[in-house]
Amino acid sequence: MTTDRVTGRGIFDPELLDRCISCGFCLPACPTYAQTLDEGSSPRGRINLMRALETGELDDDDSRLREEASFCLGCRACEPVCPAGVQYGQLLETWRDHQWSGRRRPPLAQLLMLVASRTPLLRAIGVVRRHARTPSVPAAPTTLMLGCFERGLYPGVSRSARALLPDIAVPADQGCCGALHAHNGESERGVELARRLGEQLPGVIVTTAGGCAAHLTTVLGRDRVHELSEHLVKTGASPVGRLSVGGRRARVALQDSCHLRNGMGVFAEPRALISAVADLVAVPGEASCCGAAGTYSLLRPRDSRRILDPKLDAIEAADLDYVVAVNPGCLRQLETGLRRRSSKVRAVHLADLLAAAAGGTPLPRGRRWTLPRIRVPARRAGAARITGGPTA
Amino acid sequence: MSLDRDVVGELETIVGADHVRTGRGDLEPYARDATPLFRGVPDAVVSPRTAEEVAAVLRLATRTGIPVIPRGAGSNLSAGTLADRGGIVLVLTRMDRILEISPDELLARVEAGVTTAALGEAAAAKGLLYAPDPGSRTVSTVGGNVATCAGGLRGLKYGVTRNYVLGTTAVLPTGEIIRTGGRLWKDVAGYDLTRLLTGSEGTLGVLTEITVALLPMPATTNTGVAYFPTLADAGRAVTAVIGDGIVPATLEFLDAKCIGAVEEYANLGLRLDAGALLLFGDDGAADAVERNLTRIGELCTAHRAMEVTLAADVARSDALLAARRCSLPALSRLGTLTILEDATVPRPRLAEMVGRIDEIAERYDVPIATFGHAGDGNLHPTCVVDRQDDAAIERAHKAFGDVFAAAIGMDGTITGEHGVGAAKLPYLEARLGADQMALLRRIKAAFDPAGILNPGKLGS
Ligand SMILES: Cc1cc2nc3c(=O)[nH]c(=O)nc-3n(C[C@H](O)[C@H](O)[C@H](O)COP(=O)(O)OP(=O)(O)OC[C@H]3O[C@@H](n4cnc5c(N)ncnc54)[C@H](O)[C@@H]3O)c2cc1C
Ligand code: SF4
Ligand code: SF4
Repeated sequence: MTTDRVTGRGIFDPELLDRCISCGFCLPACPTYAQTLDEGSSPRGRINLMRALETGELDDDDSRLREEASFCLGCRACEPVCPAGVQYGQLLETWRDHQWSGRRRPPLAQLLMLVASRTPLLRAIGVVRRHARTPSVPAAPTTLMLGCFERGLYPGVSRSARALLPDIAVPADQGCCGALHAHNGESERGVELARRLGEQLPGVIVTTAGGCAAHLTTVLGRDRVHELSEHLVKTGASPVGRLSVGGRRARVALQDSCHLRNGMGVFAEPRALISAVADLVAVPGEASCCGAAGTYSLLRPRDSRRILDPKLDAIEAADLDYVVAVNPGCLRQLETGLRRRSSKVRAVHLADLLAAAAGGTPLPRGRRWTLPRIRVPARRAGAARITGGPTA
Repeated sequence: MSLDRDVVGELETIVGADHVRTGRGDLEPYARDATPLFRGVPDAVVSPRTAEEVAAVLRLATRTGIPVIPRGAGSNLSAGTLADRGGIVLVLTRMDRILEISPDELLARVEAGVTTAALGEAAAAKGLLYAPDPGSRTVSTVGGNVATCAGGLRGLKYGVTRNYVLGTTAVLPTGEIIRTGGRLWKDVAGYDLTRLLTGSEGTLGVLTEITVALLPMPATTNTGVAYFPTLADAGRAVTAVIGDGIVPATLEFLDAKCIGAVEEYANLGLRLDAGALLLFGDDGAADAVERNLTRIGELCTAHRAMEVTLAADVARSDALLAARRCSLPALSRLGTLTILEDATVPRPRLAEMVGRIDEIAERYDVPIATFGHAGDGNLHPTCVVDRQDDAAIERAHKAFGDVFAAAIGMDGTITGEHGVGAAKLPYLEARLGADQMALLRRIKAAFDPAGILNPGKLGS
């Protein structure tokens, strides 16, 4: 009998690695495996690579090992389908901590993490960009998280969230949640930042970013963190208004946030909210990763587009008015991709969609300041119009 | 050992450089399949796209004596794709085209790398059913299913993969491409090579295309569940059901340890005071299904069932099936090493066999829980231990040796559906005897004179 034990260098928690029974059930769920059909780019294959790293069969510099640590999207689509409950996300963080330590970390990721850990800088950007603000911080049971990059890129999202949740407090002094660090080989710093944010934001933290929600949950616990759609549904807030385009109900699809869906099991909530104000359209592949995957779209643009393109085809084929994101990274990815194609479909954040339906704010249109000046899409006939009254 | 550069060059010419991988890190992911404790690193991984490419690779291998290990999804549980002598792992997942679904002829033609689920969905889209449904169907390939003669949850009424294979295209280790069988439901011209290849575990030829029979999709399916004080009672109920002339599609059981593990894991509200849980299901015309399930329920009650529930709707039916589907995940969470076996006995001796398994588990002091297919006597005794505990692993292996012997003693077999592979080759002679073992080797030599195709498995 061959013995096959995974003990060795102490990089990984052996419990976590041993949990995988190598059944392969995760293969059909993995977007990178679908690209290559090579076991090495599958979750099971990557776990076997991690095992070989742990036992010393492969050394740190093995080119395939390094490639796979970065080719993986970190989307965790492999987790819900796993019969053995393998915590792949956790394993990946440990793997990147090791693989990307020191000089081996991608410089761009390094830079972004540096920016995100500077709270005063985030604060300044946020103020310039006019994120949501409350005059003072009452002893509110819930606080709104502004996000690091979301504050700068999509400040309107927090304003919309606040319109939907008028009683929520928005402390101005808040940093980055650390998800960025956790996913880029700095998991300890990721935990530290999450803890600090937990101190800065009292009570239940409501976030408009699925990825941040999932990371915060792992540090602060499930009870302290609500993603926006989850919060709205949990607190029984029913969306008001109705979103129509050219006199009919708008056709809207959802792009799931990977970590929100696979890490937190939240996917019914945003769909319920959308169908209350518009026609919810199912698009093939809507539950799989869009290729934004945190810093992935910046670090591996070509692979990211390869993941995104079939998704954009499906979105365009579905005759939609809007595609909704519940995470700023996904929003940016879809928006950029759709613009590149001059698509008539617009990507919007769920908060903006609901706020527009409720009549609070118009749906954002036009270009974003961070985007290179590329062609503006043809304006579609009949912008979103608000029809008041109860929802259908 | 690593391959000669010329050999690698030749392989690259055959399938294209992108589809030959030889880096240390490229090979590692192919060192395992779903069988715990077996690991063997190949020298190259080659992914062909056509039967001609497969033929060229095999000719090269026969010429140079390099082992070739055919591999589908690598979901087998018998170390059937173990590359313990190095060599070339030949991965067939790129051959994933569904070539034809014919409602007129009730058949489908697919390449070997198509997943079982993809075939099932393509058939369903035309109102047809591909009946074999191994638990691994979302990932397993049709080629792998045929090579292992995979079973599933519907074996009693529908049979196993063997009953659906009409024809194959196979590449012999010496490079000839043969077509066995075809689109015919009747064909006795020659030895039945289609059947011989079915279950040959990648040791006689590489399957590249398969023609399978389909059935009209049954109009409805429904399920019920019954609890019994002991597994022996459940066994008697099963005998009574079949004796009554009913052949239900599904008859699955969980023993008390399994029920406990599933309940702890999934909180389905299962009864923990029961000694066995029997899941029964049938499909077909709505009134016939209703009639059969009601009758099965009555027969269970007549055989000391503590409680019988029939699913009122599809959702409820799914919820009932969840208990069976959760068995493996639930058990695997009890430790870090899960050994799943599939000893099989004649149906009436199922309860007796489970009794023997419990006895053996106690004797060797290892936890073994058993679930499986009550309809066809196929048991899945599952042992969960700590991967770092060598002594426990050793005891588990001894226990399973006794389990196989007990099964053979009851006119049963060492494996009902998972296959022999490298894992159960040591037990095979006990089941087949020396004469059949010798015949197997002669058959193997006739197909594979150089002994390059999946060595160390069947026929070795
Ligand atoms: C969780 C779980 C549940 C399972 N449930 C079931 C079940 O209900 N019923 C059941 O029968 N099995 C079951 N299995 C076992 C396994 O899925 C089946 O044996 C399946 O048929 C293997 O298919 P594969 O594509 O993964 O083949 P692989 O594992 O890749 O290969 C299996 C064998 O077939 C050979 N082979 C593969 N492709 C070819 C080809 N094209 N030509 C020639 N030889 C080939 C290989 O050399 C090997 O010997 C289960 C496994 C798991 C992990
Ligand atoms: S599904 Fe889970 S247990 Fe199975 S191979 Fe993938 S990670 Fe491992
Ligand atoms: S996280 Fe996503 S890309 Fe990475 S292995 Fe899992 S499913 Fe594949």
